[in-house]
Amino acid sequence: MKKKGGLLGIFKDIVNGMASHEMTRHAVRTRASMEHLFILITMGDLLGVPILPPYYSLRLLPYVTPQIAGWKRRMLRERDITDVLG
Amino acid sequence: MSLRAALESQPGRRYIMFGGKGGLGKTTLSATTAFWLAGQGKRVLLFSVDPQASLSDIFQRDIFGKGPVPIMENLWAQEVDADRRIKDYQEEIRKKILDMYGFDKVPEEIDNYIQAASAEPAMEESAIFDAVVDIIVQGDYDYYIYDLVPLGHALYYLSMAKVYDEWINKITKLREDMGQYDQVAATMRRQETVEEDRILGELNYIKDRINASSRILTDRARTAFFFVVVPEEMIILDTRKAASLFAKFDVPISGYIVNRVLPPDLDRGNIPVYLRNRIAMQRKYLDEIRAIFGEDVRAYVPEMERDVTGLPMIERLARRLFVDNGAGVSPPGGDLR
Repeated sequence: MKKKGGLLGIFKDIVNGMASHEMTRHAVRTRASMEHLFILITMGDLLGVPILPPYYSLRLLPYVTPQIAGWKRRMLRERDITDVLG
Repeated sequence: MSLRAALESQPGRRYIMFGGKGGLGKTTLSATTAFWLAGQGKRVLLFSVDPQASLSDIFQRDIFGKGPVPIMENLWAQEVDADRRIKDYQEEIRKKILDMYGFDKVPEEIDNYIQAASAEPAMEESAIFDAVVDIIVQGDYDYYIYDLVPLGHALYYLSMAKVYDEWINKITKLREDMGQYDQVAATMRRQETVEEDRILGELNYIKDRINASSRILTDRARTAFFFVVVPEEMIILDTRKAASLFAKFDVPISGYIVNRVLPPDLDRGNIPVYLRNRIAMQRKYLDEIRAIFGEDVRAYVPEMERDVTGLPMIERLARRLFVDNGAGVSPPGGDLR
């Protein structure tokens, strides 16, 4: 293990974390919201919101299968004022 | 211009549709046209997506859900079985999920959704839509003759192409935007590559197919749409209405075919009053058709003395329509008036 590179690496990580961690988090969160919007548009029927056209929705279903449970939880959970503030 | 001249003068129009209200003879005219073209050495696929399809009836053999079935040299006929198609498709989706994630069985919730989706009325429509896309994008026949379902459905089908087109463009855009966020996050985390978005791949595949089919169906250079009418008041009114709606979807209307015209020599000698009245009524509406559709009438097809079923009868009608009356368009026996 090269000590110097390690130190530099840690330093880089710290700087990077300070500068961009928040931005990265924002990008990831926006991406997640969009993912949920996307699933809503394509798989809306799962919540009783029929959105055309079912034949092509099914084509996409295999790819979003792992996300369905999390998406449903998010869409159907109760919301209160702290959601807006948060 | 006669139907034959319309086909011969525009050889690029390889997608030919016959539309009109139910029971006016769309299948008869589709089959007759297909028969004649096949006789000219063209490879022809005649197809229908109607669950009550009548191609089996007219060719007197069961072709439902069997893919393109050879009828005679150069002529194939196909009736799409939408239910079968949906079942196969559901199975395909289940299998894909199992393969992708190595599950033993499809999660219950997902499986329920797959089952419920097929119960939706829109499922059958979109499955049929996809079946038609399948047929027309292959492009390995010289002619595709589409025996359309009755007008309302045909219109629905065409409007679907437009709606799907917009729908798919929007979600493809959303998916692309999502990709950008992935890219941003990956760059900031100093990751080298972003995993390829397979959903975007699927969306683009669907998009290409929908675009291709709606492009073909509204392309004047490749598609001809003929309305079938009969000399009756309601039919004339409905056809005019439908024609204006079709025009809104940019469907290239290539003319009208007047079917079920009573033979003129019927009106000789002593005939029952009932028949005389029917003939008089038809003349009135034939005049009306001439006044409304005028030069756009491609053929007057006589009422045959028996049902048009079986190849010999189709051949007889084809001869009358394309050979005897091939050069011009005149009402059966010009002396009808």
